[in-house]
Amino acid sequence: MASQVLPLELIDKCIGSRIWVVMKSEREFTGTLLGFDDFVNMVLEDVTEYEMTPQGTKKTKLGQTLLNGNNICMLIPGSDGPES
Amino acid sequence: MDEYPPPPDDALDTQTPPPPPQPRTTHTGSPTDFLKGVVGKKVIVRLNSGVDYRGVLSCLDGYMNIALEATEEHVEGNVTNRYGDAFIRGNNVLYISAAEEI
Amino acid sequence: MDGSSSGIQEPFDLIRLSLSERVFVKLRGDREMTGILHAYDGHMNLILSDVEETIMIVNEGEQATVNVAKRKMDMLFVRGDGVILVSPPSRT
Repeated sequence: MASQVLPLELIDKCIGSRIWVVMKSEREFTGTLLGFDDFVNMVLEDVTEYEMTPQGTKKTKLGQTLLNGNNICMLIPGSDGPES
Repeated sequence: MDEYPPPPDDALDTQTPPPPPQPRTTHTGSPTDFLKGVVGKKVIVRLNSGVDYRGVLSCLDGYMNIALEATEEHVEGNVTNRYGDAFIRGNNVLYISAAEEI
Repeated sequence: MDGSSSGIQEPFDLIRLSLSERVFVKLRGDREMTGILHAYDGHMNLILSDVEETIMIVNEGEQATVNVAKRKMDMLFVRGDGVILVSPPSRT
């Protein structure tokens, strides 16, 4: 029997809560998940962007943001990111 | 990205009253709703290279190709170019962020 | 989707309205060019004429310097996947 819970059903349950998004590159986002589509393009609110560089981590605060799903590597539900 | 919903079919609507107003009229939720709410507003478009374009979002399509007006190009915090209009090819786009209330 | 002021409905309208005009094109690999836009397609493949290309060469070092190389070409095909941005410079 194949698994009955699809990965995106799990992400759907995260709508309204904080989520940590790790990109394929050295870049991460945290925010409140407002929605997403089949490409896992994501709409986030109260966003912090983390850019990891050899010089340190650069933080950027953002409002409502549509994040392109193309370069997303993984999603960690319920977490407030690298600082938590 | 998903397709935009088709326009309502007026022929079917003659029999039924209009639906009650939605409790939430702000544009939140799916990427499509976000984009509907953000057209005409100031946005920050960040590319995968880290370059930012700040301007007024004219329109976009399903590939995330973007047309911006009154665009400033920002590299590491400095304005490096200004464009009256700019077409940005969608594959370069990391995110589109609202730079004002939507 | 209504274009806010210029009456364009989709991003490609911006390109269509720039046909036969001199456009600024930014490409991957720090390449920039201007040229007369003759044709484009959905991949953003472009045909440009009377092209001037600018190549930025950054010399890392104690005092980073930027060398700018320019070259001219009569007619050019640009493969769409390298395109980052297209702007009609007449309005800038």
